[in-house]
Amino acid sequence: MLKTLIGRELLDNLMTFRFAAAVFITLLLVVANTVVLLKDYEQRLTAYTTAVQESHEELREEKTYSGYGGALIVHRPPNPLSIFNLGLDKQVGNKIEVYHAFVPTIWDAEKHGADNPFLNLFTSIDIVLVFQGVLSLLALIFAYDALAGERERGTLRLVLTHPIQRGYILFAKYISAMLCLLVPLLISLLLSIILLTTSTKVALNTDDFLRIGGIVLTSLLYVSLFYLIGLCISAITRRTSTALMLCMFVWGVLVLVYPNLILTAVEITPKPDAKISVYNQIKQTWEEFEREKKQFIRNDAVLSRPSRGGEDMDAGFGLEGVEYTFWKDEDKPSILLYFHQTGLYAGKIKAESEPQVPHVQNYYNFYNRETVNIVERTWLVRKPALEAIYVQPANLGRMLLRFSPVGLYDAATEAWAGTDLKGIQDFFSTVQRHRRAVVDYFYDKKIFESRQWFAADKGTVDWDTLPQFSFQRSDTGINAKRALPDMLLLLTMNVILFMVILLIFIKSEV
Amino acid sequence: MWHITKREIYDNLNSLRFALTTVLLLALMLTNAVVHLREHPKRVQKYSDAVARYENRLAAYANESLYLLAQQGPGDLHKKPSPLRFCAEGGDSFLSGTINAGDPFVYAEDMTGVWKLSYPSMTPNLENVRPDVIKVDWGFIIGYVLSLVAFLFTFDIIASERERGTLRLMLANSIPRYTVLIGKFLGALISVSIPFTLSILMNLLVISTASNLHLNAEAWERLGVIFFIAILYMSLFLALGVLVSARVRQSAVSLVVLLLVWVTLVIFMPNTLASMTGEFSPSMLSGEFWKRYRQFHQELDEKYGDRVWSDKSDTKTLTARSEYFAEHAALDERLNEDRLSLQIDQFQHARFITRVSPVTIVQHLLESFAGTGFERHLQFVENTQRYARQFREFVVDTDREDPKSLHLIGIREGMSLKPVSPEAVPKFKDTLSLSKDFNTRAMELLLLTLFVMVLLSGAYLAFVRVEV
Repeated sequence: MLKTLIGRELLDNLMTFRFAAAVFITLLLVVANTVVLLKDYEQRLTAYTTAVQESHEELREEKTYSGYGGALIVHRPPNPLSIFNLGLDKQVGNKIEVYHAFVPTIWDAEKHGADNPFLNLFTSIDIVLVFQGVLSLLALIFAYDALAGERERGTLRLVLTHPIQRGYILFAKYISAMLCLLVPLLISLLLSIILLTTSTKVALNTDDFLRIGGIVLTSLLYVSLFYLIGLCISAITRRTSTALMLCMFVWGVLVLVYPNLILTAVEITPKPDAKISVYNQIKQTWEEFEREKKQFIRNDAVLSRPSRGGEDMDAGFGLEGVEYTFWKDEDKPSILLYFHQTGLYAGKIKAESEPQVPHVQNYYNFYNRETVNIVERTWLVRKPALEAIYVQPANLGRMLLRFSPVGLYDAATEAWAGTDLKGIQDFFSTVQRHRRAVVDYFYDKKIFESRQWFAADKGTVDWDTLPQFSFQRSDTGINAKRALPDMLLLLTMNVILFMVILLIFIKSEV
Repeated sequence: MWHITKREIYDNLNSLRFALTTVLLLALMLTNAVVHLREHPKRVQKYSDAVARYENRLAAYANESLYLLAQQGPGDLHKKPSPLRFCAEGGDSFLSGTINAGDPFVYAEDMTGVWKLSYPSMTPNLENVRPDVIKVDWGFIIGYVLSLVAFLFTFDIIASERERGTLRLMLANSIPRYTVLIGKFLGALISVSIPFTLSILMNLLVISTASNLHLNAEAWERLGVIFFIAILYMSLFLALGVLVSARVRQSAVSLVVLLLVWVTLVIFMPNTLASMTGEFSPSMLSGEFWKRYRQFHQELDEKYGDRVWSDKSDTKTLTARSEYFAEHAALDERLNEDRLSLQIDQFQHARFITRVSPVTIVQHLLESFAGTGFERHLQFVENTQRYARQFREFVVDTDREDPKSLHLIGIREGMSLKPVSPEAVPKFKDTLSLSKDFNTRAMELLLLTLFVMVLLSGAYLAFVRVEV
């Protein structure tokens, strides 16, 4: 019996104009956008590979170890799954410097590549966004007359004269509509995957296909939720035109109005004074360190001789053969970044300055080790402050969006694709580990106190034994774990709504 | 005809959709007003603080010497926030609000070049990890919500009468079909205008009660134009609704068609088309830019060589140095400007294509009448360039008045070291004019009107030929 019902419903749905229009529109939009997104991804990938190559060469041009600041740069590869959900992949920086004087975070990153800031004025449309807008609309269009229409036509009464439970009818309607909605979803996804595989630059592995599977599953839950919303409206209202009208308003509010309205209306800004005090604290620590450094030089009998630099004690220490001194600093109160480093570069140290060299080496040993310690100390206050300023408001915003299924769907697919905040943060924690590895390497090889730190005359620098940076996207398991809460919420909403509809339908008079 | 219109309006006033539309539009407009009241004073405060800082910096240098002014330049120039930002936010978070005119190149501790204009190359939004959404401004309410509402009011305007058979009844009377069509169209127009006008009035009421926000006569003029544009845009969608409703047998099918048209036209077309053209037109990679930068600078350095840096302070060295500084700054500025104009071209190109979608047209129009968005940004850039020229001329002219000066700009030994009265230094004023906006936007307005005309006549043709 159930089979007959499903079969009838299926035929009813498949033979309609709306079904044809739905498939056509979804295919059109998905294919058009996939082409654009693919092109964009390829461009970003090219920019990435060129940038990596350039950075590689740039580092090899440095003749002293201290020159690695500003030259040791790692890049974030674009995520191929950003085609499905762009998330933050394109928005945040993808070029980050590894240096012992600061801990790299998302906010310190810059951008390589084609950076036309004006193009950000256009919203990038990804596949999930197409599904979010079009499939939800289709689900409602399929649902609005499922019950109200039959009631109007009187066929519902006819069906109910047969000895079938009402739950079965509902179930049959649900299954057949979902099957119909699956058609545009799967065909368009297949087409976009085919397009992806034709590109030589996109390499999708098994894990990626699992992630895409996760995205499909989430899409199903999302579409089903909208179908049930439509069915619920259809069960309550007497007339199809009212049901249709209500459906459209519900769609407009949930998809279009609520997400934009809530984030415009709710003001999520952290307290500015907390930010300033943390920044001042960090700055103070560095200034203290500066004084310590001066003290160290004063205590050193050789370096502190007035003839060797006078007021600017750390300029060149009067070494003969110093080509230039440099300072490298960063002062960005908005992201609580402050550091100050000085150094010198000597092409060839002259013989008369040779006795001074061990003292300079000793100084840099102290200076660099102390810098690393200071960075660790300031990181303890900077990390929670950055969390409070940037991450918490972002999470709060995402939390507010979750009151609409759109927010849940977006968050879950972002998590699957790995383009959510956590996925991006994975990269930056890898960079932080890499920085640690580089610093440890410098400790182990005694590079901080070596002559090659500032002089290029004796012994060459060896950039090839430096720890190599490599970044792997997190396991599918971790993606799944991040997506699960939102998917479960979607599922729960589905189940509850189905129960509600069942209750309404059983109690309703035909 | 008037009877038909009246009947249509009465029908609509009692319907569910009218109530829902009123609630929705009122909620959106009130939120918009409240958010504007909350945010705008902060923006104005920030701007006036920035301007005060700019003026203090300028006065400090002017009191010191003309040389310092010529070296350090005017400093950060700020974009004036528009009081009508609630009409169109215009992607302001993606457009930089400041352009730096200062930041001389430091060659050595005691050797500093002259100032230059530099445009921020980075997105100011880079630090933002929040979910990005469309700000609820009038542009959103009109462009997205009002167009959807227009479809919801017209999808059954003819189809449902045909379904019920009342259309046949009406046409049996001796009323020409175009009268029926126009009557119905006007009815729909008025019934959508009622909640829209109501919500706009509420919005303006809330905004104008605030004492710290003052809208002057010109702003009200602009608001009037914006209202007119909104009505025009609404009629476009109403006409499209009538057209589809006249062609299609069932009202449900008509709505399905309209919704799919809406999704494509309003949501996807502007962005997808723009991204497409954006991808296919050239832009400059930042690596490429720096390569060019280094190459040109190397050429410049070779041209002047070491004679600029010799310790001698004879007139020849100083002249060469002054020229070198000026050329260095000019080169930086030119490279920056080249990149900027490439970016602008790419963006304009992408935007031009998206004009096929009425929602983009209306958003451009709203932006330019509200004084926000990209056109405004271009005006701001232009203003800063004009000001930079003016400032340089001022420095040269003032220097010429000093008989002791050697008139070598940017060199301590070769310039007037007298302090300048801070009042005499030209100040940056960011302005924008409505007449200029109107000229650039007239084409878009005409295009919008054309769309409405075509669709209305299309609806008429469809309705005349239809069998009842």
